[in-house]
Amino acid sequence: MYISVSIAPRSLRCNMVRIKNRYIAVQIVPYATKQTLHLKDHILAKCILQNVEKHYGVYGLGVVEQGFRVKYCNERTKIAVIRCVHRGQRFVSSMLPLITLIGDLRAKFRTLYIGATIIQCNKFIIKHQKQFLDRFMGQVESAKERQDLFKRVMELDMDR
Amino acid sequence: MEQTKPFYDFCVPFNKDDKQMRAILNELVELGYKTIAIDQSFDHSKKDAGKRGSEMFPAPHSIEHLRKEFADKLKILQRITILYVDANLSHAMSVSYNLRKFNLIAGQPKTDGALTHCCTTFAGDIITFDPVAGSRLLVNRKAYQVAVRRGMFFEIKYAPAIADSNNRKDMIKLAQNYSIKGKSKNIIISSGAEHEFQLRGPYDVANLAFIFGLSEDQGKNAVDRFCRQIFLRAESRRLGKTIMFVKGNGPIVFSDSSDENQSEEEDDEMDGVVTEMSKDGEDEQETDIKPANKRLKVE
Repeated sequence: MYISVSIAPRSLRCNMVRIKNRYIAVQIVPYATKQTLHLKDHILAKCILQNVEKHYGVYGLGVVEQGFRVKYCNERTKIAVIRCVHRGQRFVSSMLPLITLIGDLRAKFRTLYIGATIIQCNKFIIKHQKQFLDRFMGQVESAKERQDLFKRVMELDMDR
Repeated sequence: MEQTKPFYDFCVPFNKDDKQMRAILNELVELGYKTIAIDQSFDHSKKDAGKRGSEMFPAPHSIEHLRKEFADKLKILQRITILYVDANLSHAMSVSYNLRKFNLIAGQPKTDGALTHCCTTFAGDIITFDPVAGSRLLVNRKAYQVAVRRGMFFEIKYAPAIADSNNRKDMIKLAQNYSIKGKSKNIIISSGAEHEFQLRGPYDVANLAFIFGLSEDQGKNAVDRFCRQIFLRAESRRLGKTIMFVKGNGPIVFSDSSDENQSEEEDDEMDGVVTEMSKDGEDEQETDIKPANKRLKVE
């Protein structure tokens, strides 16, 4: 008897690999609370990569650097989203609490959320911002300022 | 059972400056901690050993005004850290009256002998280490396992590790030693922060546990479940054997099998707790706790 079994060659089967990323939503808390933040995403990226190299050496930097990117950085709400590859995630997340200096600003990171897709991260940030608005809307008097605040807080553009 | 909510930070050093203390507590609320312990350090070795029978330990600082201020946001416990050199303080501890006013007792051994004593016979809950003096003291495997079996917990402080890279190396060395000697069982992480800038959120702490050689689960438990276990254990030590009266205000429902399963789970949570509780109702309204032991008086 002859049974024909068709199995695709191994190389073909392994072609469909999904690149796994992790998106880390962080809040930047400056040392002095009233400080305005001038933070560009490349400064943030440079700072994090430098710290990875400081704590994990060249190996850690090699693992993390591929696919590392600051996707979103809002100066007003002080929220940033960092993308890194799945296998380098723990190198990044474990070292975020140790950072006390971003660029030339004394600040610390506060991890808000770690998600696997940017959509989930977005959802969380929107929820977080709404909570923030609930607390601060009461303190603003005029309706125009209120609208202004709403606009500032809820602006999200992820096209980087 | 007394309720506590996650997340926990069991080492917030006491600060005389009320403003600074408030700033730290506010930051803790902001970060999402619900149960904290204010730490008070006491050096036993400096006291002269001549005085016997008299009170050796200091009374807790009064923090009633802070408790009142943060009543609905934070549950504030009090903790004492005893620095000691030799083993003869166990007598002083057993007769001390002030010691029972503290919720948690931590030991900070200074010598190898004291460390072994701390692991095997010390009547406290937490074993901690001086982060500044370096890690000359490393726990050995035997003592570590005894301590784990007794339900003691080892503490790692992260604030010194953030502030200074030399301390960071020492803390990592200490923490990795736990990982080598006994798979990092019974480890909690607390802040020990003098300034609110050194505080980190609970998820950050759980992530930081990676460099201390803990797994993801252990890292999360280190700020959550293990601290609850310590709290239960400390309460049971404070109260001794207790009789509990449980009063319900609903119709009496005889528990079926599913309820029994639940109570068993609770027992698991209280692993290592020596209290004998007669019954633990779901709908308890009032619990009267009467110390049955003569020597234990709790206010």
